[in-house]
Amino acid sequence: MHISDGVLPMSVTLASAVVTVAGVALSLRQVRNEELPKIAVVTSSFFVASLVHLPFGPTSVHLILPGVVGALLGPASFLSIALGLFLQSLLFQFGGLTALGANALMMGLPALLCGLLFQSLRGTTLVRHGIAGAVCGGLGTLLAALILAALLALAGEDFFGVAKIALLAHIPVFFVEAGVSAFAVTFLFRVKPELLAGGRPGR
Amino acid sequence: MEIHLSWPQALAGTLAVALPLAVALFLLRRFVRAGRRDGDSDWTVPAVDGHGHGSSFFHRWDARYKLIGLLLFAFAAASLTSLALAMAALAISLAAALACRIPMRGALRRLLAMSGFLLMLLLVIPFTAASRPGETLLYFPGLPGLPFHVGGLLLALTIVCKASAVALLMEPLFATAPLTVTLAACARLGVPESLGRMVLLCHRYIFVFLHEMSRMYRSMRVRGFVPATDLATASAVGNFLGMLFVRSFERTGRVYEAMLCRGYQGTFPSAATFAATAADYAKTFFWVMSGAALVSLDLLRLAPW
Repeated sequence: MHISDGVLPMSVTLASAVVTVAGVALSLRQVRNEELPKIAVVTSSFFVASLVHLPFGPTSVHLILPGVVGALLGPASFLSIALGLFLQSLLFQFGGLTALGANALMMGLPALLCGLLFQSLRGTTLVRHGIAGAVCGGLGTLLAALILAALLALAGEDFFGVAKIALLAHIPVFFVEAGVSAFAVTFLFRVKPELLAGGRPGR
Repeated sequence: MEIHLSWPQALAGTLAVALPLAVALFLLRRFVRAGRRDGDSDWTVPAVDGHGHGSSFFHRWDARYKLIGLLLFAFAAASLTSLALAMAALAISLAAALACRIPMRGALRRLLAMSGFLLMLLLVIPFTAASRPGETLLYFPGLPGLPFHVGGLLLALTIVCKASAVALLMEPLFATAPLTVTLAACARLGVPESLGRMVLLCHRYIFVFLHEMSRMYRSMRVRGFVPATDLATASAVGNFLGMLFVRSFERTGRVYEAMLCRGYQGTFPSAATFAATAADYAKTFFWVMSGAALVSLDLLRLAPW
């Protein structure tokens, strides 16, 4: 779920924008020039993947996949997520332009954490990769939902109800994300394992 | 103040709010859907700068100053706390969206994209807002424990106005110049050039991958794939995404090598030149001042509500 313009108070909006700008600047500095096209590819393919809607019982959910982005890009995943969210706002108005900082934190921090976690969990076998993918996929969504709820709660007591509903709405996404991430990671492990090195060369 | 509504009052009140909203949403949906074309064209991702060449107020505005003026106004609009001022910001943005003389379908599509989130706020906040002394509570019949906060409804309406105001500014801001020019302007304003390059690459790739995805998905459907809530769907979609990613990666890798062969050295040549005139300064001054006026009226609590 994306936060639209005007929901968060200006202090929270500006603070999260500052943190996001710092995060993007930091990951830009670490990324080498020839890695930029790879980040653009990951960003665009996950942008496209986020348009896939899957049925969950009577409703449908769309994928976010912060866990897989983290696994693929490692430390550069924050940059990728911020870029993807900017494009979503630019093209579709999913998430407001002024709320971009908050949205980038909400999805980018889980991706970063999942990237680290994935590298330590993934081991060398297919099964381990599947488990790591499921854990990161589920955890990424869970963290994103928690950050969303925390941001909404920061907006004041009037938003506690919205925050609770947002958390509840993420429960189906959590299961779908864990499943799809596990299968996407095992697919990549079988087909192109070098991509899962998380942006680290030589692994 | 607590008001206990009777059944007819509650029904009439709910209808008075919900009916116009439902009609407006229905018309919006029909209008946006009617614009979809059949065939192979990618209607799902509108090229953001499809109407980048024109001669309106916004097209003729120096892109650097347009970014400054409209972004400051957008942040000012997003910070408002009074409903009257949020409506004023919405009116200004609506005028801007009309003044840029590009089809309104893009702007309306944006409003439709936000409508789900905003409707949720409209529905949830009035019932869950914090209690304040002296506020007006409505009790619906049959819902004795769930008061309807009128203040919460005003808060939700303010958010709806602010979000729509900023959304309506997106087309004047980004659709009234070619994307390359807007990004070159961002670079002049201090945004790292590599970031602009990546936006440009992604904007291009998204169309390519979307086309690839719809082709792959169509062939899955032809082979009998029906999405459901089960592990088989997760497996199929996981493999589908993995394949989409591998194909995209290899394809763009080839494109990148071809670019290198043709002398790409990490930058795109840009023909954009900027020269601000007095009119550009005046436009920027107007937008910054209207934003500042809205914010100061809001801080001084001069608006009626």
